[in-house]
Order: sequence, then structure tokens, then C-alpha cells
Amino acid sequence: MHELSMANSIVETVIAEANKRNAESVSEVCLVVGKLSMLGLEQLRYCYKLLTKDTILEKSKLKIELEEGKVHCGRCKFIGPIKIREDPQYHIVYPTLECPKCGGEVEVVSGRNCYIKSIKLRQKIG
Amino acid sequence: MRRIVTHEEGEIFDVELEEQILKANDELATRNSEILRRHGVKAIDVMGSIGSGKTSLIELLIEKLNRKYRIAVFNGDLTTTIDSDRVARHGAEVIQINTGKECHLDANLVFKALNSVNLEQLDLIFIENVGNLICPGEFKLGADKRLVVVSVTEGPYMILKHPFIFMEADVVVINKLDLAESMGVEYEKLRSDALSVNPKVKVIGTICRTGKGIDKVVEALGI
Repeated sequence: MHELSMANSIVETVIAEANKRNAESVSEVCLVVGKLSMLGLEQLRYCYKLLTKDTILEKSKLKIELEEGKVHCGRCKFIGPIKIREDPQYHIVYPTLECPKCGGEVEVVSGRNCYIKSIKLRQKIG
Repeated sequence: MRRIVTHEEGEIFDVELEEQILKANDELATRNSEILRRHGVKAIDVMGSIGSGKTSLIELLIEKLNRKYRIAVFNGDLTTTIDSDRVARHGAEVIQINTGKECHLDANLVFKALNSVNLEQLDLIFIENVGNLICPGEFKLGADKRLVVVSVTEGPYMILKHPFIFMEADVVVINKLDLAESMGVEYEKLRSDALSVNPKVKVIGTICRTGKGIDKVVEALGI
């Protein structure tokens, strides 16, 4: 989807932070991506690679941690993984807002995020 | 939210950032919804694929509601004013939002549009999103309700193939029911697919060409 603009925000944010801390280079960026966000990781990595070329992020490792899709049921108070349905006829697997426990209606409480958890910097010497 | 958590040996720094990338839009969306609430204006985000009938539906809703409410339409499109010209014929105020190359509206574009109208003179805003069943779902705009339009001519699988946008929806409109038979697509199957993804969504079948089902859409939107 909009992986390029997301990757752009990520790179801009990291560069701003690195400059503020007088960094010579960035060695690692740790990103958390929710499983219910619509970001494709393959495309995100590809855009990241393109955008970091000739920057202080060029040699950095992009670490991506996945955040589980968790839901909360107002009726039975269930908190846990979102229910996944399968339609074997079309090989379609899709999430549903139906409570896995009582069949009620749930709200998504996590899994939609995308955030930079941490970065590793090498500081300029002297 | 920024703090240093560890300071390793040598000159490597570990910096914990917690910098939200997607949240920035959510915060702007919350600001939009506060602005709307302060002025007593309701907004409906109309999403759906290209050619599904978003503009036709909005035209019908304006005809239906323009004696009851003062209505404006924000028309999101990559370019051209074709849709806004169509909507303007019905007497509603129209703001065209050309996104250029972006595949969705975001809260910032809607904020700009909100600043360009006199909210004191309005009761209801329809926001026509860019034709797309993927990206708009991820970008909240601050609307009261989110509606997704699909049509039977898009084939039988588009709901299950795009579950995320239907998880976001309050109302799903299945349009062009008059063509269902020739398309070999069953309304009931699409309806059950929508409910299977999102049990609390309201599903309405329509024929926008004739106006069939519009009263039910109004009822489902609670306006």
C-alpha cells in the first residue's frame, strides 16, 4: 500500500533523531508493525533500502517486530488474539470482529500500529 | 515520548524512540472530529472501489436530505473535478480535494477542507474518499460514520479479499443489485461475507440508478 510514504516518514524521523544526537551513522532501526496494519513488510524493506542509500542509515539493519492483532469483547470481556476465519473453497484467510469465545462483537485493541521502537547510533568521536 | 534506555560500551547508543508513525494521522483525525462536534456538524466518510457508485450514492443522499440539512461534500480524487461538478448540480457546497498521486484521503487534507468551509452554515458533510478498497481504511478522517460502497459488478469476492476496510465500516452498501443476476453474483452471499468480517456492520442493498434502498441507507447512517 503506502509503504513508500511510511518508509519515508521512518527515515526522516530517524535522521532527525540521529542528527540531534550528533550521530555518525545509524546501525539499527527497530520497527514494530501491527499484523492488522495494511503494511507489506517486503515492500517496506525494499523502500527502506532505496531511501536510505547515501544517508547515515545506509548500512543500518531494519529489524521488524510484529505486533499481534488483539481484541476485546464488551460482552464476555475476552482479551486475546483476533479470530481468523478460513474459506477453504477460495483459500481465503481473513480476520473477523467476532469474539472467538462468545461470538459477540469485539473491538481491536492492538495490531494496527506502526512505530519506531528504538535505534542504534554510532556517535561521532571527539 | 523519548528517552535513552541504555548506554552501551564504546560509542554505540541505544535510543528508545516509541515514535508513532501511523498515530500522527489518528491524532489529526481526533482533532477533526472535535472541530466537527464543536460546530454540531456530522460527517460521513464514503469509501469504496472505483466505479462502485460512491458519487451516485452521495447525489441521492443529497436529494433526499437537502431540505432537512445544510450539506457540503468533500470530493477526494487524484485529479479532475468530474465528481464535484456532478455533486454541485444538486445544490450542495462542494470542496474538491485533489490528492495528486495519493491513493487515499488523510486527516490533514480533510482538516484543510474543513478550514475552507463555514462550519456554522453546515449540518452534514459527505467525504468522498479516493476509489480504493485498501488504503483509505487505514487513514481515519475524523468522520462520525464510515460507509463502504461495493457493487455486484466487482464480482463475488471483493469483501473477503479486502477484510480490513470492512472491519472499519459502520455501513456497507451493496450497489447495482439490478445487475446481480446477469453478473451471477448473489446479494445474500456478499451480505453474509460483510457480516462474517464485521458482525456489527449494517448492510444495505441499493440500486443507485433508480434510488432503490436509499431510505434504508439514511436510516443505517442514523441521519
